[in-house]
This record gives sequence, structure tokens and C-alpha cells, in this order.
Amino acid sequence: MYHINKIIALAVIILLTGCSIGEKKIKIFSIEKPREKLDYPMPTALELEELKWIIITSENAKEVFKKLEEAGIDPVLFGITDKDYQVLARNFAQIRQKLQETNNLLEEYKKYYEGPEENKQ
Amino acid sequence: MIFTVLLIAGIAGAGMYVMKLRSDNAILKANQSKLESAITEQNKVLEQQKEDFTAILESNKKLNVLINTFKKDLQDLDKRFTKKNRDIGKLAIDRTEAIERIINKGGKNASRCIELASGAEHTPEELKATLKSEINPECPSLANPNYVPYQ
Repeated sequence: MYHINKIIALAVIILLTGCSIGEKKIKIFSIEKPREKLDYPMPTALELEELKWIIITSENAKEVFKKLEEAGIDPVLFGITDKDYQVLARNFAQIRQKLQETNNLLEEYKKYYEGPEENKQ
Repeated sequence: MIFTVLLIAGIAGAGMYVMKLRSDNAILKANQSKLESAITEQNKVLEQQKEDFTAILESNKKLNVLINTFKKDLQDLDKRFTKKNRDIGKLAIDRTEAIERIINKGGKNASRCIELASGAEHTPEELKATLKSEINPECPSLANPNYVPYQ
């Protein structure tokens, strides 16, 4: 009887501990994956069309319109004064500077966050 | 009998103490290794920060130079219209054809400046230009990087 109790106790122990033997522990690990690069190509450069300025004064007005008609162009001109021409030149210079500044900023951001060209994969 | 029990207890105690020392030693070694790797990581972060600050400073410097160039270009443009009490309107009345030529050339140069500002490639002539007669006077700093204006 004494032996039977011993065997039963042993069997119960083995039964209870059996589940904990041989089980693998789950390992959780994290890998840092860098964000995908946006990598847009730089904007395409502009190719502007050429335009012709015509200076019209009270003296050459007739001649200018005559030349336009002879060339088959509508005899009409959209004019600005000499002062407004200066304003227009200044405005264009400012637009050009803003364009240059924006492009420059874009390049600097790209360089800072994505590294120089040679480092790109 | 008591002596034997005390001896066994002493040996067991000593054994346990040695075991504790060994376990403490292992923990300290692991801590040391973790601290060393933490220091290495921190040094790397500091290095990266240093590099970033340098890059930011350089970029700021570049942008400031650019902004100053813009101011100078606008001043130069104004000067071209008003130099020596110049009145472009009166000049256009007196020398219509000559001023028309100048205005058209200026317009062409200004258009080229916009193309360059939008990212167009320089032509070899623009890059080679070092004399005042060769440059694009609308935006010499942008169009002719090798041109050094005389003071």
C-alpha cells in the first residue's frame, strides 16, 4: 500500500510538471526599419519662349502699327509705361529669386534627410 | 553530534555564500557590459548630433549668402534703371531702336535666369564667363558662377 501511494504521488507530479517541460519560450524582439525614402526627382527645369518687346512713342506709333500690319499681325499692342516696366522687371526678378530659394531649400532638405547623392542606395 | 551538525551547516553556509558571490559577479559583469554598450551608443548619438549641427550651420550659411545675393541683385537692377539720374522713358524716346534692342536682350537674359533658377543646366559659355562682357547681367551670381565682379 505504501509503495502504491508513492507511485501515485510520483505519477501525479510527473503529470503536473509534464506540460512545463520541453515548451519553448516566446521571444519578442523589434527591428528598427527606416522609413521609405520619398525620392522624388527634382522638378523639371523651365524652358521659356522668347517674346519681343516693342517700344512705341508718339513719333514712331504709325510706323510701328504699319509694320505690324505688313507682317500680318493684328495692329494692337498691350502697353505699359516706363515706370511700370521697371516694376515688371523687379517683380520678375523677385519671382526668379523665390524660385531659386525654394529649389535651394528643397535640395538642402533632401541632402540633410537623405544624405548626399553617393550615399543613396 | 552537535559539532558534526555545526560543521555541515558551516560548509553549507560557505557553499551558499560562494554561490551568492558568483551570482553577484555574473550580474555585475552583465551590468558592466550593458553600461559599456550604452556609453558606445551615447557616443554615437553625440557624434551624429555634432554632424547634424555642422550640417545645419553650413546650410544656414549657404542660405544667408543666397539671400544677400538676392538683395544685391535687386539693388543692381534698380541701379541700372536709375544710374546717374537715368530716365529710361526719355532715353526710349531719344534712342528708340537702341533701347528696344537693350530691352529685348535684357528680357532674354531675364528669361534665362528664370530657367536657371528652376534648375536648368548651365551652358559651357555661362560657366566659362569671367569678363563683364560675357556675363548675364540680370543674374550674374546665378548664371555665371565663375565670374568675380570687380570692386
